[in-house]
Amino acid sequence: MDELDAIIHQPARLQIMAALCQLRPSTQVDFTFLKTHLNLTDGNLGAHLLTLEEKGYIAVEKTFVARRPKTFVSATAAGRRAFDTHAAALRAILKSK
Amino acid sequence: MNISPEEAARALGEIEASRTAMRTAIRNYRGHYHLWLWGGIWVAVAMLAEFHGPRIRFRLELAGFATTVLIILRQKAQIRSPGRDRFLGMLAAIIVYANVWPYVLGGPPNSKCGFAYGALVAMFCFVVSGIWFCSYLLWVGLVVSALILVGLFCFPAIFWWWIAIFGGGTLIGTGFYVRFFWR
Repeated sequence: MDELDAIIHQPARLQIMAALCQLRPSTQVDFTFLKTHLNLTDGNLGAHLLTLEEKGYIAVEKTFVARRPKTFVSATAAGRRAFDTHAAALRAILKSK
Repeated sequence: MNISPEEAARALGEIEASRTAMRTAIRNYRGHYHLWLWGGIWVAVAMLAEFHGPRIRFRLELAGFATTVLIILRQKAQIRSPGRDRFLGMLAAIIVYANVWPYVLGGPPNSKCGFAYGALVAMFCFVVSGIWFCSYLLWVGLVVSALILVGLFCFPAIFWWWIAIFGGGTLIGTGFYVRFFWR
């Protein structure tokens, strides 16, 4: 049976992973774009991204676009696998009800 | 880690809500702006050619290319895929070379053939993009290419009206479909 992942299960991180895994593999989104569409604050999103990055679930790339600093985020292959496993575990719990 | 079925249901609900929010956001980054822009340009070019001659076509198309580049740059600032720049570079090379080739051979025989040629080059780019990225682009490219050829060879007398309705109209209509209904 699939295992739940405590790192992903936290509500904000679950939202972040669900959003990133919705994109095509290797597609990156801007930090501000993610913040706006998930209704999170700068600090909140930054802290959760750091946790996910340390676990290897997301990749963060800092760059400049039109001379402005930009942070782009994408889900890694390991992150996508972990998210799929977590979602499958959640569905299994519902089925076993 | 153990959780109750109610908690699992809540988490799955959060996943779905987040996916829906992202899908809605991504919808703004699809190609509908380009479809509306070029559909509008085709309608304008066709109607101007029908009533005033085809001379303004190049200026309209240049304005269209400039607007297309601006849209791409704006979209790229928020969502980007590695390899996309190379792909766009390849499409730009195809468009530039394909627009030079006919003049090496002496130029298109008339404005209808010239427009049909340019439009088929654009549709070729749609087909290639569709093969790599979004299936709807493949189908739009194939259908509009067929419509252009039918208009050119079967209905040359009403060619500009044909292009405005079936070429420009199809692009604009597809833009609305992609923006509001495509999942």
